[in-house]
Amino acid sequence: MDHRRVFGEVFTLETAIASFVFAAVLALMAVAVIRRRAGTGRHPSQRAENNRLESYYLGVLGVVAVFLVVYTALANHREHHTPADRPTTRVEVTGFQWCWEFRYPRAAAQRTVSVQGNCRDKQFPTLVVPTGTTVKIKITSKDVIHSMWIPALRYKMDAFPNHRNTFALTFNQTGRWRGRCAEFCGQRHKSMDFWVKAVPPDEYRKWLSTQAAASATGAAV
Amino acid sequence: MSFTSTDHKRIGLLIVGTSLVLMSLVGVLALLMRSQLALPDETFLDAHVYNQLFTIHGSGMIYMVMTPFALGLGVYLVPLQIGAPGIAMPRTTLMGYWLYVCGAVTMLSGFAANDGAHPDGWFSYPPLADRVNSPSVGSDLWIVGVFLAVTGSILIGWTVLWTVLRKRAPGMTMMRMPVFSWSMVATCLMVVGSFPALLAALVMLAVGRVDPAVFASNVWNIGYQHIFWFYGHPVVYVMFFPYLAAVGEVLAVFSGRRFFAYKGTVLALLTFAALSMSVWGHHMFATGQAANDYYSLTSILLLMPAGIEYFALIGTILGGRLVFRTPMLFALAFIPQFLIGGLTGVMVGTPVIDYHVHDSYFVVAHLHYVLFAGSAFGLFAAVYYWFPKATGALLRENLGKLHFWLLVAGTNLTFLPMFALGYLGMPRRVYTYDAIDGFGWLNLLSSCGAGVLALAMVVFIVNVLESLRSRRPAGDDPWGGQTLEWATSSPPPEMNFPPERPLPPITSYAPLLDLEKQKRTGAGRTPAAGEGSQA
Repeated sequence: MDHRRVFGEVFTLETAIASFVFAAVLALMAVAVIRRRAGTGRHPSQRAENNRLESYYLGVLGVVAVFLVVYTALANHREHHTPADRPTTRVEVTGFQWCWEFRYPRAAAQRTVSVQGNCRDKQFPTLVVPTGTTVKIKITSKDVIHSMWIPALRYKMDAFPNHRNTFALTFNQTGRWRGRCAEFCGQRHKSMDFWVKAVPPDEYRKWLSTQAAASATGAAV
Repeated sequence: MSFTSTDHKRIGLLIVGTSLVLMSLVGVLALLMRSQLALPDETFLDAHVYNQLFTIHGSGMIYMVMTPFALGLGVYLVPLQIGAPGIAMPRTTLMGYWLYVCGAVTMLSGFAANDGAHPDGWFSYPPLADRVNSPSVGSDLWIVGVFLAVTGSILIGWTVLWTVLRKRAPGMTMMRMPVFSWSMVATCLMVVGSFPALLAALVMLAVGRVDPAVFASNVWNIGYQHIFWFYGHPVVYVMFFPYLAAVGEVLAVFSGRRFFAYKGTVLALLTFAALSMSVWGHHMFATGQAANDYYSLTSILLLMPAGIEYFALIGTILGGRLVFRTPMLFALAFIPQFLIGGLTGVMVGTPVIDYHVHDSYFVVAHLHYVLFAGSAFGLFAAVYYWFPKATGALLRENLGKLHFWLLVAGTNLTFLPMFALGYLGMPRRVYTYDAIDGFGWLNLLSSCGAGVLALAMVVFIVNVLESLRSRRPAGDDPWGGQTLEWATSSPPPEMNFPPERPLPPITSYAPLLDLEKQKRTGAGRTPAAGEGSQA
């Protein structure tokens, strides 16, 4: 949810600035189109430039640019900062044509739990995560480039073959959200979806041990 | 019309005409896509066909319509604007044109291949585009076609640049060149500086299609993206500057005054072009393998030269005496519509925002506001403005205005909903979506908009054909032009400024305006002499 919050702040600010600029340009255009149309009898200006105004304006643009660069870079760093005191859950995500595998290495009594789907007939695999922890995700791909996008969290990260990306997610409330593949990956790109389900930590532990037991008896779900 | 003439005007018209034909063809592909996406779970097209359509639509519009048209405009206009009798190295220009034609035909011939045309998008990342994942011959044809077309663009870019540097008429100093010719300097510098990177990327893909093992290693996959986008961002400005400058000239002429803040604009264009070579990584924030802070810094700094260009455009009309002919309407609409593309460009250049909207319909909306709501409106402003010069016939004003209003309505109806779709979570390049996703009515609006766009284009085609069939003579200078091309006949004679049509004195970047003023004031203190003295 940290990503969503940081995104919200930055997006709101940039939308506000953009709306202001857009409104200002529209207003100036309206002045020109109404007051400067040929019918009003005004003569065209002979002035070819206004260097003083232009330099002040450039200065303002520079200040805005520097502010945006610094502010958004800081937001970007804040977004990627993981507090050390929070417990950590590790998940290995693998994208493949055309679905996802979620592995929880040595998560339940040293046993690795794996969830994999085939994304056919709208049967999408679910990434189950505990609330209140830092979910560290290592992501890779078995074949072509995919991208793990969770629109509700306002975040995505690409899955490359022969490369591992890492990022962290946090969930401060329970819920279930749709995830999608965002990088075009071929024929069934469209149906390469998944679910993210955040549950309380004890429910998460229960889920892990059920999964581990199920895979131990060979009846993997 | 001769297809082997080395007259720059012939070559320019061939390039411009070919790209307009291709614009209609690959535009139809977009109509098919919008039909498929109008309702959820439609089965009009399957994924395989849809993937070919978006690939050839994007590749066609970027490699074979907006880029060549921009360069073709330069081939036609630059020699005229700088008072030269022709283009430098005309046979090279002509070869560039034919490479472009061969490339377009080769790419489109993919539709005739067994598995159809190339299906991997206009940037075709490996390993998806290697032989294992994309076995179709259409993919090979795409690589060859794009390679040929881009090679053609590079050759044309060189000849235009060389013309500006070496063929200016006596008295035509660099700082007396019209804004459009200056925009071609910046454009061609980017063409020769960045387009070879695309050739390198295509060679990488070709090697990977012979031996897919190449792309087993990440360094080649991410390397391809770096090399591709080193081309892929400057090309955006190649498809922007000439149209922006055309808009600038139209605004000045239909405001009855010289272009405002000329020096600042020239400097902004050059700064813009230089910076454009340093921003490519902002297409790669989500790869987790690009330096966010650096690429965000260079990208956001672009708002400074962009702001100066807007200062000039707005300044020009604020001090003008505005006449609303068709070219002027397109030029005026360019200002706010391109601005939407530019402002959302700052957003997608911000990593925190890009993580969410990257590869979503938000980006599709953004790039269409830049390339269609912006550049294509500049393109039509240029067509309506220079058509009388190139053909000697005026386009119909009523059909032009109908075209304009339909295009404004269609453009915003088509592309505005896409911002919301992307924000809500619709990825790009999906051939359909589920009813429960809730993308339905926004997609329906967008598809209706596409229908209006199609109608607008039909009106445009009718206008061109009708105006050529029953001609209304334009005269040499129907608009009160300010630059040298309006000092010769319409269409201009083979040598542009033969002895019977000598060049007027070149006193500034608006020589005909100076001449006009001189005539008025030089004819003694008539009552009209006080005109235009207001600041």
